[in-house]
Amino acid sequence: MQRSLFGAGTCSFRSSRPSAISRTCRRHFHDPKPLPPQDEWRAHFPSSFVDVRDRVSINNLETGRLLADSFLSGKSLGAGENKVVIEAYPGPGALSRALLRLPKSKIRKLIILESWDRFYQYLKPLEAVDPRVTVLPIDGYTWDSYSVIEEKGLLDDVMKHDWNAGIHPELHFIAQLPHGVYGEQFFSQLFRCMPTKSWLFKYGRVPMSLVLSQPMWDRGTAPYATNARCKVSVIAEATSQLQNAVRPSELQPYDDHFHPSTSRVVSKKAESKRAGQPHVAVNVVPHQDQLIRSDQLDHWDYVLRRLFVLKSTPLKNAMNSLAPGAPTLLKVLTDPELPPEERVNINDKIKNLTIKDWALIVRAFYNWPFSPEDLTFSNAEDFGPGREG
Amino acid sequence: MIPLTKRSTRRLETTLVSYSRQSLPRPARLYSSPSKSAHAPAFATSVPQPEAPLPYLPPNLEREFSKTKEMATFLHERQSYTILPTPAPADSSDTNTMIFPDTALQNMVSIIEACVHNLYDVPRAKTVFEGLRRRHRCDPLLHGGLYNLLLDAYIEMASVKEVEKRSHWVEDACALFEVMENGKDKVTPTANTYAIMLRAWVLFNPSSHRLVASTVDMPTPIMLLRAMIDRQIPVALVVADRAIRTTKEASEAIKMLSKAAVDMNLGKVVNELGMAEALGSRAPDPLDNVPEATPVTRAKQQMQVTHAQDGSVTDFGVSETAVEVEHEVPFNLANLRKHLAQVILARRVLPEDVAARQKLLEESVYDVAVERLKHQAELFDEIGLTNKGLGNNDLRKWMWEWHQKLKVRLKAEIATLAVEESKLSDGRGIRLSPFLTLLKPEKLSLITILELMHLQGGAGASKVMKIARALLSVGRAVEIEYKAEMCKKNNITMPSNPARGGDHGYFSRLGYRDLHARRVAAAKYMEDAEEWTSDWSQIIRVKVGAFLVDLLMDVGTVVRTAVDRRTGETVSEEQPAFVHSYEYQRGHKLGVIKLNSIVAERIAKDTVRETLHPRHLPMLVKPKPWLGHDEGGYLYNKTSVMRYKESTEQQIYLRQASNLGNVELVYAALDVLSTTPWKINRDVFEVVLKVWNSGERFHKLPPAVYDQPEPQKPEDFDFDPKAKAIYITRQRAWYNDKANNHSDRCNVNYKVEIARTFLGDTFYLPHNVDFRGRAYPIPPHLNHIGDDLSRGLLKFGESKPLGERGLRWLKIHLSNLYGFDKASFNDRVAFVDQHLADIYDSAEKPLEGRRWWTTADDAWQCLAACIELRNALESGDPHAFESSLPVHQDGTCNGLQHYAALGGDDRGARQVNLDVTDKPSDVYTYVANMVEEQLVKDIEKGNPMAQLLSGKIARKVVKQTVMTTVYGVTFIGAREQIEKQLKDRLDIPVEECWLAANYLAKLVLHCIGDLFSAAKDIQNWLNTCARLIAKSIPPERLSDTLRPTPPSQKGRPAPEQTLYARMRKEQMTSVIWTTPLGLPIVQPYRQEKRKQIMTSLQSVFISDPNSPAMVNSQKQASAFPPNFVHSLDATHMMLTALECRTRNITFASVHDSYWTHAASVDDMSVIIRETFIGLHSSNVLQRLHEEFCERYKGYKVPLPSIRTMIPKLPRTANILQISDDKESRTLDEQAVEDLRLKAGGLPIEEEPEEVEEDQGEEEDEEEKPKKKKAKRGGKRVVSSELNLDDKFVNLTDLLPPVPKKGIFDVDRVKNSLYFFS
Repeated sequence: MQRSLFGAGTCSFRSSRPSAISRTCRRHFHDPKPLPPQDEWRAHFPSSFVDVRDRVSINNLETGRLLADSFLSGKSLGAGENKVVIEAYPGPGALSRALLRLPKSKIRKLIILESWDRFYQYLKPLEAVDPRVTVLPIDGYTWDSYSVIEEKGLLDDVMKHDWNAGIHPELHFIAQLPHGVYGEQFFSQLFRCMPTKSWLFKYGRVPMSLVLSQPMWDRGTAPYATNARCKVSVIAEATSQLQNAVRPSELQPYDDHFHPSTSRVVSKKAESKRAGQPHVAVNVVPHQDQLIRSDQLDHWDYVLRRLFVLKSTPLKNAMNSLAPGAPTLLKVLTDPELPPEERVNINDKIKNLTIKDWALIVRAFYNWPFSPEDLTFSNAEDFGPGREG
Repeated sequence: MIPLTKRSTRRLETTLVSYSRQSLPRPARLYSSPSKSAHAPAFATSVPQPEAPLPYLPPNLEREFSKTKEMATFLHERQSYTILPTPAPADSSDTNTMIFPDTALQNMVSIIEACVHNLYDVPRAKTVFEGLRRRHRCDPLLHGGLYNLLLDAYIEMASVKEVEKRSHWVEDACALFEVMENGKDKVTPTANTYAIMLRAWVLFNPSSHRLVASTVDMPTPIMLLRAMIDRQIPVALVVADRAIRTTKEASEAIKMLSKAAVDMNLGKVVNELGMAEALGSRAPDPLDNVPEATPVTRAKQQMQVTHAQDGSVTDFGVSETAVEVEHEVPFNLANLRKHLAQVILARRVLPEDVAARQKLLEESVYDVAVERLKHQAELFDEIGLTNKGLGNNDLRKWMWEWHQKLKVRLKAEIATLAVEESKLSDGRGIRLSPFLTLLKPEKLSLITILELMHLQGGAGASKVMKIARALLSVGRAVEIEYKAEMCKKNNITMPSNPARGGDHGYFSRLGYRDLHARRVAAAKYMEDAEEWTSDWSQIIRVKVGAFLVDLLMDVGTVVRTAVDRRTGETVSEEQPAFVHSYEYQRGHKLGVIKLNSIVAERIAKDTVRETLHPRHLPMLVKPKPWLGHDEGGYLYNKTSVMRYKESTEQQIYLRQASNLGNVELVYAALDVLSTTPWKINRDVFEVVLKVWNSGERFHKLPPAVYDQPEPQKPEDFDFDPKAKAIYITRQRAWYNDKANNHSDRCNVNYKVEIARTFLGDTFYLPHNVDFRGRAYPIPPHLNHIGDDLSRGLLKFGESKPLGERGLRWLKIHLSNLYGFDKASFNDRVAFVDQHLADIYDSAEKPLEGRRWWTTADDAWQCLAACIELRNALESGDPHAFESSLPVHQDGTCNGLQHYAALGGDDRGARQVNLDVTDKPSDVYTYVANMVEEQLVKDIEKGNPMAQLLSGKIARKVVKQTVMTTVYGVTFIGAREQIEKQLKDRLDIPVEECWLAANYLAKLVLHCIGDLFSAAKDIQNWLNTCARLIAKSIPPERLSDTLRPTPPSQKGRPAPEQTLYARMRKEQMTSVIWTTPLGLPIVQPYRQEKRKQIMTSLQSVFISDPNSPAMVNSQKQASAFPPNFVHSLDATHMMLTALECRTRNITFASVHDSYWTHAASVDDMSVIIRETFIGLHSSNVLQRLHEEFCERYKGYKVPLPSIRTMIPKLPRTANILQISDDKESRTLDEQAVEDLRLKAGGLPIEEEPEEVEEDQGEEEDEEEKPKKKKAKRGGKRVVSSELNLDDKFVNLTDLLPPVPKKGIFDVDRVKNSLYFFS
């Protein structure tokens, strides 16, 4: 089959023009189940299926190769050799195929999680042609899936790496995040696992590479004093170092790289929650020094969630939102006895507070004898991160 | 202009007789059983019959037709529909004000009223009023009452407040009076008007010492008298009117009028006035109300009244036989009023004024509350608990402290506000200060505190109140209290209910007219006697509420103590009791009021008696009969007869129907329900109290301290996100349960408190209806519609000897309550006989014994029944035992029963016991078994979920879903119902419930499938009709709809979309129908339009019911079948209630569960069947179709809107009468066929409506329609191929024919044992 050949390293794979796929290649790789041509994706994976509509997948092999390199090599925060990669939400596998194209010295194991059958059918055959691959029909979103990986012994050869001894040299997590509520929840959960060193982070500071929508990324990286600043951006800033893997323009226009295409998606969802948003590829690595104490994560969550409801209100007026009587904490935050760097300007709007301010507020709240007891559950209606009304 | 004196003496005598006590309403002799007739007055035949009877009195009481025939005739008669124009879209040029009051105007009217109150700012009121008169002359909102209010205020200004400007004010008053008199503003003067002007003359006449300028042309008594006579307003009413303030003024007025009458040579009037004076000089006879003590021959008051047909008073007469009046008592206005009330309304309407205690209860609620709080606070002070130790945390103490601070603060703030607002330029903005001065600061303060506490008590699981709701309730409470004050001001005599349905039964024409006349007379009396008040708009309520709540949050504080975890020291802090903050709910930022957690805790523990307003309590006297759409129930607290769903349309229709006299029987039926006497079941109460005080969990009573262990944090919590997730789910469920426990505790707390309060009393539950006509008791906390506990605590206020049959029914009832209700009656009796030992044990040792009763389905009621049965059996003569326990007869799947009867569906009828069977059939068990079978199959396929659920599908799990299927439950709804049931079972892990419910819901819906296919046909028919109606446009709007839209600014040609959009905007027609009892039912579903209102707290979004938006056609359609069936079951219930009253059977109902004494069950059973047969042999659906044809005559449906329905409409080919706006032509058959083919091949295109699922409403069965996904392409493709965009079809032509009836004869119900059982 014509399409069974991957492009070669010698060609200009940084080109953003998909038509420029070169058929000369570094080495032959027999693809047992080649992906359909880009213009036929719509027929194979119609967006009437939830898994297509709510998940954006790379549909361009060239793009896959571009990203595979930018995740694991070069200037990437997670660059390294001899990697064990867990890939979630691979779609039919454009990126997976690009990863497999990398030499064994780069990747020694690729664990793919895909629970939707149509995509799975395009992935499972890869196991047969490459012993590095394991494809599991499970969902990257559920925590269970990672227990399954461990139970199958797939991570037995991965060592636990001391948190303070740098980035984990082997383990690497890659995902194309769904948009919508699930994706956003997943995105914020990734950061929330860092302070407690849970999930994959029990192995150490595991780097992550993500493909996600620009709006979601903007919320995650919004600097203070901007309107997009929200709970996720504060937690992300407190927990990890973030990096664009490729220039965002490399993934433009959207329709050249991703499925489903913009024009085909009709939805009543807010624009930012729809497919067809520009996407970015990023690398994320947990900080060595975690600002959030693991026993205070709930307090951070609570304080951020309650206060960001009033993000354009000065802190001094927003405190009532925390709990009845919480304004008394303002005294603590402005105590003239304290050194200036331990005081907070309570006239600042919530969105203008720096990460340092937040740490001080959470500390005061944590020490307050009247802080509510049921922090996690006081607001069952909470939708998770970044939700604006 | 007929001088009153011309009336003949003879005529007067007859009227006198007709109103003497002897002609008090008799029980309807025909309907009472022979044994009862002894209680009927014996002199029925000895009363001299009036020669010229009043229009609504019968010539002959003894008429011979059967009651059921009368009812059947009534049900078969052509109904009187209430028809009003469909509201026009808000952006149209039509003003809707005649139908939909304009909110801005409504506000202005309220402002005038508030400014006039206590002469707060009459000049401003005058300015605003004059402005309104210029702009909105003749608007119905400018009520005559408003004119009188101002007239009175002007005179008061002249006499009290601005004496120096006296002439000006009197001049203004005279000018206004002239406007009223000459009818320019279409406002008619009333007795009140003349009384005011008469008083003006009394105060400022030329010979008084308070002269006004001679240029002022005051109407003289002669002019006034002439006008009164012209308008047939009795002079006695005028001199006794509330406008006359003092006895002195009254006697002056009488003197002046007498002089005028003498001058005009009106002897009759002179007499009448003399009478009035005489009446006022007699102390009311306390024995008047006691018939036995009053000899019949005693000379009575000599004033007689003639009523017009509508019941209004047209004439007074004075009997020539008047005996000399004793003048021991000096003339007194109050006495005059009291006598007049009795005479005018004829004792049959106002038999007595027994309302003393209820009045006291309603009058002094806030005063009593203050006293109690104060007392409590003093008590605490005395024993030295203030501000130290635990006593500090008492709710009442806090409330007292807040009240002390708040009332002072309010006084100051309102004064400041008034000064600030007086500086404002005279814009149209709303000034709050007039409203805030309507009540004293003390009262405002208490209302705010009590209302917030009460709201919180009922707030349920979440500890927050939505701000908009809280502000509205506080604002509303202020409005209600103000109105109650106005009602009380004149110490009115309350009309009370006639004992029976009148002399002619309810269903005869005469009887109906009689009912109507009485109600109108009483309503008119109430209207005259009460000061007129306007309704506040939502905006005013919210703003007033915000002002008060804001201040309360500022001053309301509590002191909390806790241990500092770093230092180990105990610290205390003063914290606000209420906090305003924001939360995200469903992605919307929502303002909420949070309660400080220690306050919330106390609500569940402390006494909450103080926070209960009498309008939350049962009544100690028979409720005021329903005299109008907002007059009835509580004596002083304005209550609406219908619970509107924020729909002014509903209110307007009801008002209109009420004015037309179409809903007399609905009022009458509600009066029947409202006058059923109740008592607290003391035996059960004592058990409840014991358990409650122990604080332990017991059966369904929640424990004082939540007793379930908190889930343990797993060891791998920090590392294993999965373990963490499970833990969090369980933890969340635990907190949720804990919160629910808290609110349950609050709930039970209310019930116990109320039961305790009413322990020794007979009381009544006033009823009103929801918009479908279903009746509900108004007191929310303790009523018979409530849960098992509430029902267990209640029994009838009267008892009846059991008799043999009654004993049997008592046993069956007990068996039903236990849950053994599927067997034949004999088996159920046997069941009870077998368990007699258990029953005795339960009754004698409810807590110490074996507690058999706690294993019953309805435990508390079962306990009550056990006690009753034991007492009966132990009484020596069980058949003579006086039992007051309500015995229930429940419809078996009542919704399906109505469907089966509507459709004549033989198979369906058998499933729901319409047909004669030996054993009751049970649909729920049937479905549950089907599901179990399916599970077994799935287990074989290796489905783990089936494995988990197998054996756990009880009848209960599927019951609600089966029941609501007929009401159109959606998959989502079904899943939620099932999930709840699964969770309640406790044997399925919490985190599995959702998935299990998901799986099970599919199975259940599948199994129900075609089981009820006949009902489906009717549902579909109803649905189709509703959809067509909701798409239609009234004829008067057609031309506007088709007016070409100007091209858009960019110069593009107006797209076809524009016309389509215009059409959709014009679709304002809601589905409206009339129940067999004449109640118009208006479906309220429209697009929601919310307005932002700035308040002192935050800006609030509330909907303005006054400005209607286009209908939500999907919801109109999907809600119609359930609403229609509910309107039928409501009708069935009311028919039954009326018949029961006629036959002297005590009756109460919980929708489709009918209650009566054990001894009356047999009689009631007959009635239930008769009314059901009567209802369903009246061709309900056919009549509905006829009504639609009349109601929507001329309405047009734009074809583009119903494109996808066309292929499904059976008759389209023949009747597609397609018209342009000018010509009209018929589409030939081929064209229609094309249409079908084309439309049929296209995907269904529902209009893309933004139907957000609204937040959970109270109604459980009113299913929300689920948003359908709009499929792409449909609309565009069709419209390009078929150019139908400007074509209209007559709605009535499109309505499909009524589905054919099956073979089932509804008469068979007569012999069905288990129809209701």
